[in-house]
Amino acid sequence: MTAIPLTSQSANQVKARRRPFIRPHRVVVFVFLLMAAAFFAVPLYVIVVTSFKTMDQIRLGQIFSLPSPWTTDAWTYAWTQACSGMNCNGVRVGFVNSLYILAPSLVLTISLSIITGYGLALWNVKWANGFLFVLFICAFVPFQIIMYPLIKIAGTLHIYGTTFGIAVIHSVLSLPFLTLIFRNYFRGMPPQIIAAAMIDSGSFWRIFFEIVLPMSGNIMIVVLILMITGIWNDFLVGLTFGAQDTQPMTVVLNNITVTTTGAKNYAVDMASALLTALPPLVIYFVLGKFFVQGITAGAIKG
Amino acid sequence: MGIRWSRVTPHLAVAPAALLTLVFFIGAIGWTVYLSFTASRRFPDYELIGLKQYWRLFHDSSWLLSLQNLVIFALGSLLSIVVGFILAALIDKEVHGEGLFRTIFLYPLAVSLIVTGLVWRWLFNPSLGIENVLHSLGWQSASFNWLASQDTVMFGVILAAVWQSTGFFMALMLSGLKSINTEIWQAARLDGVPFWRLYIEVIIPMMKLTFLTCIILLCIGVVKAYDIIVAMTNAGPGGASVMPAYFVIDAYWQKQNLGFASAGATVMLLTTLVLFLPLVIVTAIRQRNAT
Repeated sequence: MTAIPLTSQSANQVKARRRPFIRPHRVVVFVFLLMAAAFFAVPLYVIVVTSFKTMDQIRLGQIFSLPSPWTTDAWTYAWTQACSGMNCNGVRVGFVNSLYILAPSLVLTISLSIITGYGLALWNVKWANGFLFVLFICAFVPFQIIMYPLIKIAGTLHIYGTTFGIAVIHSVLSLPFLTLIFRNYFRGMPPQIIAAAMIDSGSFWRIFFEIVLPMSGNIMIVVLILMITGIWNDFLVGLTFGAQDTQPMTVVLNNITVTTTGAKNYAVDMASALLTALPPLVIYFVLGKFFVQGITAGAIKG
Repeated sequence: MGIRWSRVTPHLAVAPAALLTLVFFIGAIGWTVYLSFTASRRFPDYELIGLKQYWRLFHDSSWLLSLQNLVIFALGSLLSIVVGFILAALIDKEVHGEGLFRTIFLYPLAVSLIVTGLVWRWLFNPSLGIENVLHSLGWQSASFNWLASQDTVMFGVILAAVWQSTGFFMALMLSGLKSINTEIWQAARLDGVPFWRLYIEVIIPMMKLTFLTCIILLCIGVVKAYDIIVAMTNAGPGGASVMPAYFVIDAYWQKQNLGFASAGATVMLLTTLVLFLPLVIVTAIRQRNAT
């Protein structure tokens, strides 16, 4: 837009096109953006370089300097030997647990909320608006207000302290939010297609599987990204419902950083943190566009 | 006369979710609120004792401090909305390397608050972190050991939180800016209105609902702030950075005081609901404007 010259003289056009690059306020803007970028990038830079240093290098106190020599000792140690409390098997324990938590919660929560969202969006359901309003509230309530009952229910169902139990809790907690996202998405589908399908078959499940589901590719990617990052990065639910050997990666990481048996090796902390942060970061860098959609979709249209 | 399946099936399909909501949310909230009126210690005790837990709660200096920190945290985090808006406005007007900037501003969102807290704790480390670098560059009086002092610890936590969440608000602001009619920019340019005036007098007022949504979401998020406190300070030093979410969890697990913890959780819920009401109204207005 800035390239469009608004002066009517065509002779000025070439100049006007080039002007943005030398105008002083452009430089100010660019410098400001560079400073902001440094603020956001520096922590990642520091954590990466620190994770490749030896403890002797770290003690020099130059956090911005590059490692010399580079060593991956901290990474292997973090993955296989770092101590979380009395348990010295590295963050890989948490990694595996997080996978075991992630898989069932994705299946449970997505299948449940997509059907609910579909029913509420396109079919006549009694009290649908009231239900939606309740879901809207539930999407925002603090975890603490339902923590104790959830612990009791999980205990009664004998899933407390298991990875499956954590997955079930995640599914329940993300149900309201996901249902709203799906419902809003299905509401926005072309009404002609839905109306034609209603006349054509009129079957709840056939319309779902033959028309609605095949059209849900985009929203599915958004939801998957949202759920994978959300569940992977969760700490509180994993801490509350996990047992010693079923804790997710974030909890194991936090334990590693506060465990003080032996000499403290900060490189190991940094490597553990990077290993924990890696899966969501990879998703972000690969599928950035959908990632942003996912974050804004729920928040704005809620 | 058979059953009209086309009427019944949708209800059956929605029923499981409705049942789950009823039990795990409505029922659970009711349970906790009820417990907040009892003297339950480690185990529930269903005899009602009125508002005693709330009386104790609001005479607990740690809880009062946590409420104060809540306000400080919320006010400080407004920075991420302001910065988020500025960055969105700058990025929105084509800048060289827009995609790269956007990627850098947004990636912290994918980083968990535990990792965020850990990294910033490391940067704040007095002998090995940024402070030491500043000293070795010759700035001897520089003090970046914020987490060690009760006066500055909240600012340290806020800085880390702002680092993590600014991208979120930038993304919301970007989508708000995108919905503004392009003619406005052209008209402003024709009239020779300086850009900063255009933003202050036209764009920001037009985006007031976006701003309001951001502020409400931020406040609801602050009420829930727990991970970042655990990762950075564990409410220290000396309990100076306690937040309500942390206080409640601590009251339940460490103090083993269920009734007391439930009272705290109920106050958290009420705070969220108070914030929630304007969110409903704003969302309703936005949806009406959109159609």
